[in-house]
Amino acid sequence: MTATPARAYRPPAPLGGRRGSAAGRRRSLTALAFLAPALVILGAFVAWPMISAFRLSFTDASGFGAEEFVGLDNYVRVFTDPDIRDAVLNTLWYTVLFTPTAVISALLLALVLNSPNLPFRGFFRTALFLPFIVSLAVGAFAWSYLLDPRLGLLNYWLQGLGVQLGDVLEDPSLAMPAVALVAVWKNFGFYMVIFLAGLQDIPASLYEAAKVDGAGPLRRFANITVPLLSNTFAFVLTFALIASFQAFDQIYVMTGGGPYGHTQTIVMEIYESGFRKLELGFASALSYVLLIGTLLLSLVQFVFFGRREEDLT
Amino acid sequence: MTRTPLAAVAALAVAGLALAGCSAGDTPSDGPVELTFWHGYTEADGDVLQGIVDDFNASQDDVVVTTEINTWDVIDDTLLPALSSKTGPDLVAMPAERFPAYASKKAFVDLTDFYADPANNAEDVVEGAKEMTVVDGTSYGIPIGFVPLAIYFDKAAFEAAGIAEAPTDWAGWVEAAKKLTVDENGDGTPERYGVVIPDHATVGNGVWPSLLWGGGGDIVSDGSAVIDSPENADTLAFWHQAIAVDKISPTGVDGIEADSVFSSGKAAMTFGGPWMTFIAADAGIDYGIAPIPAGPEAQAASAIGLTLSVTDQGDQAKIDAAEKFLAYFLDDDNSVAWSLGSGWPPLRSSIPADAVAENPTVATLSQYTSFTRPLLAGVVNSTDVLAALDELTQRAMAGDDIASLLQDAQAKVESALE
Amino acid sequence: MSGTLAARRRIRPGSIAALLGMLVVTALVLLPIAIIVLTAFKPNAEVNAYPPTLAPTNWTLDNLGRIVTELPFGRLAINSVIFAGGVTLFALVFDSLAAYALARIDFRGRKVLLIAIIASLMIPFQATLIPVYQLVAELGWINTFAGLIAPRAADAFGIFLLRQFFLALPLDLDNAARIDGASEFRIFRSIVLPNAVPALMTLGVFTFVNNWNDLLWPLVFTNQAEMGTITSGLTLLTGPGGIIPYGVMMAGSLIAVLPLVVGFLFVQRRFIDNIATTGLK
Repeated sequence: MTATPARAYRPPAPLGGRRGSAAGRRRSLTALAFLAPALVILGAFVAWPMISAFRLSFTDASGFGAEEFVGLDNYVRVFTDPDIRDAVLNTLWYTVLFTPTAVISALLLALVLNSPNLPFRGFFRTALFLPFIVSLAVGAFAWSYLLDPRLGLLNYWLQGLGVQLGDVLEDPSLAMPAVALVAVWKNFGFYMVIFLAGLQDIPASLYEAAKVDGAGPLRRFANITVPLLSNTFAFVLTFALIASFQAFDQIYVMTGGGPYGHTQTIVMEIYESGFRKLELGFASALSYVLLIGTLLLSLVQFVFFGRREEDLT
Repeated sequence: MTRTPLAAVAALAVAGLALAGCSAGDTPSDGPVELTFWHGYTEADGDVLQGIVDDFNASQDDVVVTTEINTWDVIDDTLLPALSSKTGPDLVAMPAERFPAYASKKAFVDLTDFYADPANNAEDVVEGAKEMTVVDGTSYGIPIGFVPLAIYFDKAAFEAAGIAEAPTDWAGWVEAAKKLTVDENGDGTPERYGVVIPDHATVGNGVWPSLLWGGGGDIVSDGSAVIDSPENADTLAFWHQAIAVDKISPTGVDGIEADSVFSSGKAAMTFGGPWMTFIAADAGIDYGIAPIPAGPEAQAASAIGLTLSVTDQGDQAKIDAAEKFLAYFLDDDNSVAWSLGSGWPPLRSSIPADAVAENPTVATLSQYTSFTRPLLAGVVNSTDVLAALDELTQRAMAGDDIASLLQDAQAKVESALE
Repeated sequence: MSGTLAARRRIRPGSIAALLGMLVVTALVLLPIAIIVLTAFKPNAEVNAYPPTLAPTNWTLDNLGRIVTELPFGRLAINSVIFAGGVTLFALVFDSLAAYALARIDFRGRKVLLIAIIASLMIPFQATLIPVYQLVAELGWINTFAGLIAPRAADAFGIFLLRQFFLALPLDLDNAARIDGASEFRIFRSIVLPNAVPALMTLGVFTFVNNWNDLLWPLVFTNQAEMGTITSGLTLLTGPGGIIPYGVMMAGSLIAVLPLVVGFLFVQRRFIDNIATTGLK
């Protein structure tokens, strides 16, 4: 993860002794006491289920009845099944549609909102953030109605402008952009607020000084805003990427994976394998491949943004 | 000393959670066997079913059945976790196409002996309906609903177009639909279509199976994929001409949209089940019911089917008690009550026609039983088969090459049947 | 409001263009929310009419009436509050304790633990739902608040977020207290927590909103209608043949979303300002 804030402090210098000493052991016990409640909950309801799912991924379990050990069969299927290949490609396509759109629109709006000349900034900030607190399922339902080819207001208005949208959610090339758009709508306000916070952390004196030196707005943006906002940017990007790898709710509500599989993402496939086809073993194997893929991607991002793992601690 | 307050917080929290946990229902060790029954009958039919359950509870002292009503989708989402931890329902109703997946994984009790005992009223269950409950030669449930997909039409529209009788074959059907199509402003988009034929996610998934059967084709036969056939190619070409070229129906709609197209008066005919009568009446449409017109090779209607099963969660006393309820549900009086109340034809062939004559919908639909076929009976991975069918029909109606679509569909159905 | 201040300044053409642009964007963003509110008051005939309209011509309370009569509405609302509130309360306590250890106490295995916690964010919950359910069932907690709340009583995101915030608090105060012999718990309770109110509030709002809005979770962990939440109760709104009338569904959505929106409008200023200080950037 790349989310360590720029001003992260080092952890407290050890008081009274190194880790192996008696004082160090006492500290470990204290830490354990603080961690205990969360560890009990996370251990029981996150770690144990993950271990359990890992075990299931080598079986043909259905969730009930007998299950048999099948070795690597489920993993072989993950890498050979054409439906899974399509789901991976769909997820990547969704990621390409969602992530840049959400992050860039959030950044642009944050820049506009950060300008002191804009009136009603508080109103805009709140209004643009509002979709974030609406449930994705409810929002998706409202969008389905807006996009309905026969009853939808959006379709009707666009027709007035000469744009024939047709049945967006049934159109193999438009359905994915539509479900990605709904996720952008839901999330960009959150990212925008994080960007705003990052922008407000940049000292105004830097801009003043640059102005005195004769730097224009573009150069001030390139030389001050971009470098000082890069941590925030990396954080938002990671968040958006993880979210896009787990796309589910609005797809479940709006298209159910259709038209004929064009919005079938990996998590939709996990859901369908587990809950519809009762192939829990296969669904678990697929989840693990997704988990490892997400971890690898986060790692690549570390490298890309030149951050080292030591930053984590 | 640092640990004391922390431990107190943790203990308090755990105690709080445990306290909340105490409200879980405990089953008393003696007294009647308590059963839960999950179903998705949310309308008036749900009230009738509740009446049968109440009567059953009152009729004896050994078993008490409690119903939990959810939509069929929600039942599908929640049944697996519930069964996986043996906290599931003892009786569960579900759409027939979802049934084989659970039955094949041995979630349900084998009812072979139940059917063999005449005291259980199950010997004369309608043949096609019983077929829905069979996986690998064994029956794992009883039918709770078996009704043909039929045509529901707008009588006023028929009258205005001068059509006296509902069409009986495909040629007549298309001709009638053309007459019923109204495009007053001539913009090429009719204000009213002759018929609405959904091209994916159709009512009970049954529209296209009915049409394919009518043309002499099939999807799965004796456990093998037979979707890539010249008969199916002809059928798809015929309907592509009628829907996309002659525009007797809007394109790209699914089953639920089709219902709203019909109920808002934008189509004169639609496919549906008995609930269509409520929708039509609600929308103020004077409706008629007709069988799906015969195709060149056969008259066939896909059944909308629902099954009722006893779950196998390891408690023989509950299984025996649940089978008692099944027998009660199937007895003469309840068969008639359920048929009349749900608007669905009786599930046993020995129920005489005049017993349900007071409900005209039931009386009409009962006449179609002879050509009603269960959909994908015994096919475990119906999810992928139906997805392949949806892709085939949706793309065929959009104008893609039918021959290669059929090849793709054949491959997908084959891999689903493996 | 910053608007009145800005109005007193000389308004430049650039900011007028920006204002107009923002108005258009905001209108588009609020359109789906407006459609929920307005459709909730539309009679069925208008919902299905063509051409579609934004606002109803004849306002009706029928849709809202159907919600209140068809759903055990009061019960669902109470359940929602207990579920979302309970999760929030426990998560704040447990997450902040864990975050304190991870941020302020140097112990063996800290780094590994932190990485494990972050990695657990990346597994979709559909993947572990069945094992979690089996455990909850084993405890006898299906259809109870305990079963709904316990699995979420601590969460990796919250621990991570609070840890980032705690890291950023100056150490001088703690060290002074430590030299005075204060226990770690005392430092946590009387120095770190009071300074962490913005972060706790941010996390609290997140947690409450996410759980209030969750559909699948309450659906799976409760199979009795009277144990559901407002959001999961929306699935009960079906008509014959599985058709969901838009008007009724929007009325249900409105009821599910309204308490959140109203609550949010009360805290929004502080909430959004707080995000600025929580290390989420």
